[in-house]
Amino acid sequence: MSTTPTTFTATIDGSTGEFAPGTTILEAARVLQATIPTLCFDERQDPFGACRVCLVGVQGAPGPLPACTTPLRDGMVVDTREPTARRVAGAVVELVLSELPEPPAEHTELAAVAREFDVTSSRWPGKQHEPRPEPRHPYLTLRHELCISCGRCVRACDEVQGTFALTAIGRGFEANIVAGLDEGFKASACVSCGACADTCPTGAITELSLLLLDGPEPAHRPEPATR
Amino acid sequence: MPDDRFESNATTTCGYCGVGCRLETHARDGRIVSISPALDGPANLGHTCLKGRFAHQFTRNRERLTTPLIRGEDGELHPATWDEALERIATELTRVKTQYGPDAIAGLASSRATNEDCFVMARLIRAAIGTNNLDNCSRVCHSPTSFAMRKAFGLSGATGSFADVDHADAAIIIGANPTAGHPVAGARIKQAAIRGMRLVTIDPRRIELADYGVLHLSPRPGTNAAVVLGLAHVIARDGLVDQDFVDARTDGFDALLDLIADYTPQDVERISGVPAADLEEAARIYGEAEAGCLIWGLGVTEHKYGSEVVQLLCNLAMMTGNIGRPGAALLPLRGQNNVQGSSDMGALPDTHSDYRPVDHEPTARAFEAAWGVPLSRAKGLTIPQMFDAAIGGELRAMYIFGEDPAQTDPNTTHVVHALESLDFLVCQDIFETETTKYAHVVLPAASFLEKTGTFTNAERRIQLVRPAIDPPGEARTDFAILSAVSAALGHEMPYASPEDVMAEIAALTPNFAGVTYERLGRRGLQWPVTADGIDAPILYADTFTTANGLGHFAALPYQPPGSEASDEFPLILVTGRRLEHYNAGTMTRRTANLELLPSDVLELHPDDAERLWVTDGDLVSVRSAFGRIELHAEVTRKIEPGHVFTAFHFPEVRTNLLIGSSADVNTSCPEYKVMAVDVRPVSEVPARVPALVAGD
Repeated sequence: MSTTPTTFTATIDGSTGEFAPGTTILEAARVLQATIPTLCFDERQDPFGACRVCLVGVQGAPGPLPACTTPLRDGMVVDTREPTARRVAGAVVELVLSELPEPPAEHTELAAVAREFDVTSSRWPGKQHEPRPEPRHPYLTLRHELCISCGRCVRACDEVQGTFALTAIGRGFEANIVAGLDEGFKASACVSCGACADTCPTGAITELSLLLLDGPEPAHRPEPATR
Repeated sequence: MPDDRFESNATTTCGYCGVGCRLETHARDGRIVSISPALDGPANLGHTCLKGRFAHQFTRNRERLTTPLIRGEDGELHPATWDEALERIATELTRVKTQYGPDAIAGLASSRATNEDCFVMARLIRAAIGTNNLDNCSRVCHSPTSFAMRKAFGLSGATGSFADVDHADAAIIIGANPTAGHPVAGARIKQAAIRGMRLVTIDPRRIELADYGVLHLSPRPGTNAAVVLGLAHVIARDGLVDQDFVDARTDGFDALLDLIADYTPQDVERISGVPAADLEEAARIYGEAEAGCLIWGLGVTEHKYGSEVVQLLCNLAMMTGNIGRPGAALLPLRGQNNVQGSSDMGALPDTHSDYRPVDHEPTARAFEAAWGVPLSRAKGLTIPQMFDAAIGGELRAMYIFGEDPAQTDPNTTHVVHALESLDFLVCQDIFETETTKYAHVVLPAASFLEKTGTFTNAERRIQLVRPAIDPPGEARTDFAILSAVSAALGHEMPYASPEDVMAEIAALTPNFAGVTYERLGRRGLQWPVTADGIDAPILYADTFTTANGLGHFAALPYQPPGSEASDEFPLILVTGRRLEHYNAGTMTRRTANLELLPSDVLELHPDDAERLWVTDGDLVSVRSAFGRIELHAEVTRKIEPGHVFTAFHFPEVRTNLLIGSSADVNTSCPEYKVMAVDVRPVSEVPARVPALVAGD
């Protein structure tokens, strides 16, 4: 009968470390200071494994594996620069960008990920999301056209705040996020904690005060509170 | 890559509630643009609420005090220079002191200000003026908790940390509404309940967390003692006592056993209205837990016997051994950002820092040696005693900083009469308040986003406060102002910065011995901190801090509250908080939070509403033996029949006109939570702001 060792040894990009069973590749990589880009991951939430931007090569595995949800095995050897993993992950980023009406703002996580993969434009120009009005809230706004349906805001509302005010709606290209039953933050169960804006990697949900820094607002966006 | 949208960033500690969220502030053009939670904040774990994150616009509100104000011959406040204001204060306080003695002067320190500010205030009052007439607003919130925990265990503070909620398999929340009053702690408790922690909520209102718990008890306001004694009865009856712990670590259990024999579930049901079966289930949930937490707020303390109920809660923890281990903590939810610290610092009439009595000779000598002046050994006045003394003529001058008793203290009519009776009143604040209306000099202070220092949160965690922006106009930090006032009174303090003050606090305060700003770093330290910098997330693992090292049971019977329903006043008013606003609302009412909650309502059960011919949204009058207010009704099943609820955030409502002078028997913490009232619909258009009548 085999016994489970109390620690696993793993090697990532040539660095080796000891880790507790259950540690994910991503967690181990951060300890060993190996860079793995992520998009749907937030350390305050359970790993979600939806975006495939964190794909890495694992010796012996049939294909790339998502680092955020894959637990280490003893003796695992991981290559974060493995060409297939990088190519697939880069294509994911390119597809995500193809849906947006404009490139992501420089400070956003999505922009950082795009820089990491050297993606500046998409080979697949196609349908893009249209802006639509969002009911007024004194602090928060939701620009639906920038939503990439990563689900981080919904999970922040559920797993960090526990208010369950945000909803994922639609399928495929129509997938998006709404507050409550698409009634806006203020009329929904939202408690205005801002955890969604804090985690959003594209600025789709953001603070009005930050939008005002970037210049004049598009016409449909609400005026900030002047009180 | 650095975010070039911002010109400066600072990591600080939130100045709203006692959770102590660590915040990242982002500023541009001298204004705060955005605030986000620090991912490594031990209390908030990368989360914060709408107050900490968004309610910062008050810092640049046009009503900010930006220059000292002096009341002129015309009775109005006029802008003045700092030199004029300081000279006026020195002249008046010296005159009062010469004519009536130092005990004719009193000071209120602020639980919103830093530890350093409160320590400097204590030195100003004790050394520069020479009296122990010094108090802070924990008097009106958690002074019963401090009193009771010191009696039972030794130290005045939570026995563990918020992290214990993550490790508990059961918890009882009594007299607190954390998702509104302490939103980030509330979210953490809610997540624990969703993961399977068995949560019992005990409150006259059906609080939000009741929907995530396994059981909710709604006792009649003022009957907490009976409920907690009943829980102890069932725990003992059903063999859930941790006898090894009781034998080895405590004393006084037999007296408690004798007492609780009289509190059968049926007796408790008769007193409190809580069904006997529910009480039994609640006792088993807590008594059978491997690790259970007790969490409470002002719904426990702000009662005539509030301090006794806290002692009874300490009983529950000791008889089940739920103390001194991970997941087994007693967590009083401290209301304000530094209500723990202001008391730790000795901004109290009877204690120096570390709660050492003012007549404790070695302590008094140590402070005399450090400050170079003789100190009084006589206890000073508590806040309610100060107001009584002002009306009686023994108290002639007050120095109030960062507090608005004319809005927040009970029996507003009495408070205003007291303030009007003073010869001289100094207020130090960031805005004009209800209290500054009676001030002779008003000094413009800096907000928590504009200063350096430390706050101590509800888990005894001392955390750094760093300025995000500069104070507006000529406003100065409380530290700078209090130092200048002390110098003007002839007592120079030797501190160049708040960090110097902390060095002296550490030198004079055993529980702070190893505290330095460097060691506090990003995560803070939970006192007691040893000289080599080791802190204490969990207290009492091996021994209690009492004289004999044992935890003390308290056998205290249930006694009825100070106010009971009668034919004239048939409903019981409970007061509390709303998520969107904070205490007196001085800050949150000057942000867009006002758009989220523009006014207050009186919560009323549908049965009462029907009987009183009130429909949702109607204007109603609420009358008690002490006063009358008007506001709109919200008909809701959140509140039980026979009870009504409102908050105290809006000065135009003047909720505290209704509250009388009944107070905790040990600490004089007011009984805000039980007031018999009469509610009636108002048919005509009212005068929205009730007039204040001078005199009692």
